[in-house]
Amino acid sequence: MSRKAKQPKAQAKSLAPHVRESAALAADAAAALGASRYKDATELYKELVKRESRPDWVEGLAASYAGRAHELADKGMIKEALVLWRNRTQLCGKPLAEGPYLGWLLQAGEQGEMSRLLADASLPDAARAELEMHLAAAMLAAPANALPGLPADSALLRHLPAAQAALAAYCRGDFAALEAQLSAIPFRSPYRDLKPLLKALALLQSDVEAARTAIARLSVGGGFERLAAALRAAVLPDGGWLAALSDLDEGSQQLVLDIKGCPNAVRPLLLELAKLGDAPVAALLFDVLTRHRRSIPANAFAELCLRLLPHLGKRLKSNADFRKLPQEQRLHVLALADELQGTLESANAHWGEMMELLSAHPDQKLRIALILRHLAALGRRNRMEEGVDGGAFEYLKRSLEFDPEDRDATLTVIGVLRSDNDLVQARAYLDKALLRFPKDAKVLLEAVEVALAGKAFKKAVGLAKQVLELDPINPQVRGLIGQALFSHARKQIKAHNPVAARKELDAAEEWLKSPTERAMLKLLRALVAEEQRDAGHPLLLREAMADFGVPLVGAFHLLLEAGKVGSNPKALLLKAEGNLASTPSTDAVVALAHALNAVPEGEKALGAALEPLRAMLKRAAKLKFAEADHLLVCEALQRIEEDELLAVYAKAALKRWPGRPVFIYLDVVARYGSCYYDIPDRVLYMLDDIVDDARAQGDHRTAARIRALLSPPPDDDFMDDDDDELFGMPFPDMKGGFDPFGGLPADPRTMLELVVAMEGEKALFEMVRQTLGKKVLDDLKKQSGGNKPDFIGRLIDMLVKGAPPNYLPDADAASPVKRPQPRKLPAPAPENQKELFDE
Amino acid sequence: MSDPYRVLGVPVTADDQAIRAAYLALIRDCPPERDRRRFERVRTAYEAIAGARGRLAHALFDKTVPTPEDVLAALEADFKPHPVDERHLRRVLGAK
Repeated sequence: MSRKAKQPKAQAKSLAPHVRESAALAADAAAALGASRYKDATELYKELVKRESRPDWVEGLAASYAGRAHELADKGMIKEALVLWRNRTQLCGKPLAEGPYLGWLLQAGEQGEMSRLLADASLPDAARAELEMHLAAAMLAAPANALPGLPADSALLRHLPAAQAALAAYCRGDFAALEAQLSAIPFRSPYRDLKPLLKALALLQSDVEAARTAIARLSVGGGFERLAAALRAAVLPDGGWLAALSDLDEGSQQLVLDIKGCPNAVRPLLLELAKLGDAPVAALLFDVLTRHRRSIPANAFAELCLRLLPHLGKRLKSNADFRKLPQEQRLHVLALADELQGTLESANAHWGEMMELLSAHPDQKLRIALILRHLAALGRRNRMEEGVDGGAFEYLKRSLEFDPEDRDATLTVIGVLRSDNDLVQARAYLDKALLRFPKDAKVLLEAVEVALAGKAFKKAVGLAKQVLELDPINPQVRGLIGQALFSHARKQIKAHNPVAARKELDAAEEWLKSPTERAMLKLLRALVAEEQRDAGHPLLLREAMADFGVPLVGAFHLLLEAGKVGSNPKALLLKAEGNLASTPSTDAVVALAHALNAVPEGEKALGAALEPLRAMLKRAAKLKFAEADHLLVCEALQRIEEDELLAVYAKAALKRWPGRPVFIYLDVVARYGSCYYDIPDRVLYMLDDIVDDARAQGDHRTAARIRALLSPPPDDDFMDDDDDELFGMPFPDMKGGFDPFGGLPADPRTMLELVVAMEGEKALFEMVRQTLGKKVLDDLKKQSGGNKPDFIGRLIDMLVKGAPPNYLPDADAASPVKRPQPRKLPAPAPENQKELFDE
Repeated sequence: MSDPYRVLGVPVTADDQAIRAAYLALIRDCPPERDRRRFERVRTAYEAIAGARGRLAHALFDKTVPTPEDVLAALEADFKPHPVDERHLRRVLGAK
């Protein structure tokens, strides 16, 4: 209460009421009442009424009593409130049975006072009816002489026999008699609320939905509210009634359990479960279940405990139930517990041991396959990456040996092989998949992709048409057909066969709908026209560039397409009047980033296409991009391994947003690449420091990427399909973590030299082919000029650095990242080298 | 996710046909426009255990904590609903 509000109270107390003038006293009383200071107001009005019983003062006193009584009732002091209400009647002549009085009587349980009131002939009819309704439930439960003094014509007494008989009829299950007795209770009877309640109770035996509807019609409150509340809980759908038990008193809980037909033996368990809430802590639930295990069927107890055990944390291993489990189940529980605690290496080890046990049983192949697929997914989630890394790929491939019927796993394996340019293996898996799923649109779509990767454009179009027969509105396959025809057209332009190229482009017309695809079509038509020396081709080029919407994007596509068909990019750009002098806008650079993201990884012509744009793009790095746009541009440049531009953009970003972990990471990648061994120690320490910053900023992706950079995962880089240590055995031994080097020296160069010494050169060649692609292997072969030791030395150098050396002409096409990319055809080896290598 | 078998009201031994029949019956009773949340719950449950692979994967990798409702489902087979005991009814009616 404020100091201002307290002032009148202080004044009132400063002079005793009985020595003050009535006028001043009345003013103070009215002020106290107006300020809801009922206690003060009562004292002042009492003094005034003592002096003279003026009507306004009596009214003031009554209002003060009522206000104070409400205050006390609100605090739960019902009996005190009733005393004040009775004082109000006594001193102010107000009727007793009005307002909240009856309700307070019921709350206080003063049934004697209630029956005395009912016997009072002066009680208004409305108050009598309300009181009777409140007393009806108590009448049914009370002995016959519980309410003496009730008038004989009281509805409470008159309708009591019918209500009692109805109750008895329900309890003995005589629903016909129940109906008859309920019909004897009149509509205005104080027992009227009993009718829908007993009807609902009877319906619960046969039609729960109808019972629910009947209960829903009842208003809240009244003498039967406790029974109604119990019924409302009992009709809650599914297991909702169990949770609702905790809101009921003990008698109502037993009533609900009666309604459900719950055996006495399980009631203590259910009441404890109700207290746990909807989503209890696993350990608490486990404790409750073990305390009441004798009340639960043995099978159900075992099943529930098995689900709870992985959640017990440190208590798990000392738990007696866990220790009694068969070894296979123990390993299963431990693997799940490890996953819950995030100790994935340990989880892998436990899954591995479990698979070993399962492998002794031929009927457990599907379980093994599922565990292998789970491990593949687990690794992916841990790295927060969507692609399939080497480890996951091996798990998936292995899973198909146990369960070749899984279409999705098969398609993932084919996709990885395709993106790895291992089209021979991809086709082998695809052929099996086509036999198993001949009418499956997804399998046929993958067949289209494999055909495209092998530059079998006609075959791709044929397969794509089969997909369209199954799925006529598949937008992906339409785009693929168009792209296949584009690729074929480029091939024809490059081969100086413009007539055939035009035919391909005419065929592509019906499949391509998006504005970018239409612009590309026009651009290729312009290149055909140029090939045919058509005088109108510069105009066509200009139109095509304009159709891309953004001049920078148009220029990029023109340069890229020119590179693909073997034309002179700069000459073409001059003809198309492309402007490379001015600095592009931020929107144009963002649009270019989107265009770069749409270019398949490993596109050979990309570097040359970007070369003329490099200067203007460097200038544009200083523009005021939004942070998200700046990041988009950086990510696009990182994706195509355009390190020079990425360094410029990352540096510009760090000037505007200093310390932002993602840009620091991109700056490091631009300067040193993604190989751990190429990054100076001071930079590694700095990266280590910013992992926490990234996490604190909620940038978990960057944190995961930095973590991966700091501790390169033991993934596929050094794995070999034929490595018996890992995958030749039924399962890789994953006890104590997954170590692909199997305890070999940590120095990668020594380790690789050991591989050559122990496994032979072929193992090294295969490793390079798997990780960096066949093209890199062939290019290095040429670079070494037939000198085998030099060739092996170069291979080891390259593997140690994690990327092909810069002197290779096609270094950026050799990314170890496994993403779909066009098949790289090996260049024919020079005649003098043909016999040198087994490859 | 709640126990999909309990959501669909089928035993853990139910086959594809029984699970699909239960699923169709439930979504007929509870289409998405009537109770979106319940429909989603039913659909999620069905997707989890439709097919032998799904059921086996659920048994192998499910890490959801059982709920009191799951425990209740294990006990309900022994429940025998019958009219309420008169003493209990009067006790509730007569309580203050």
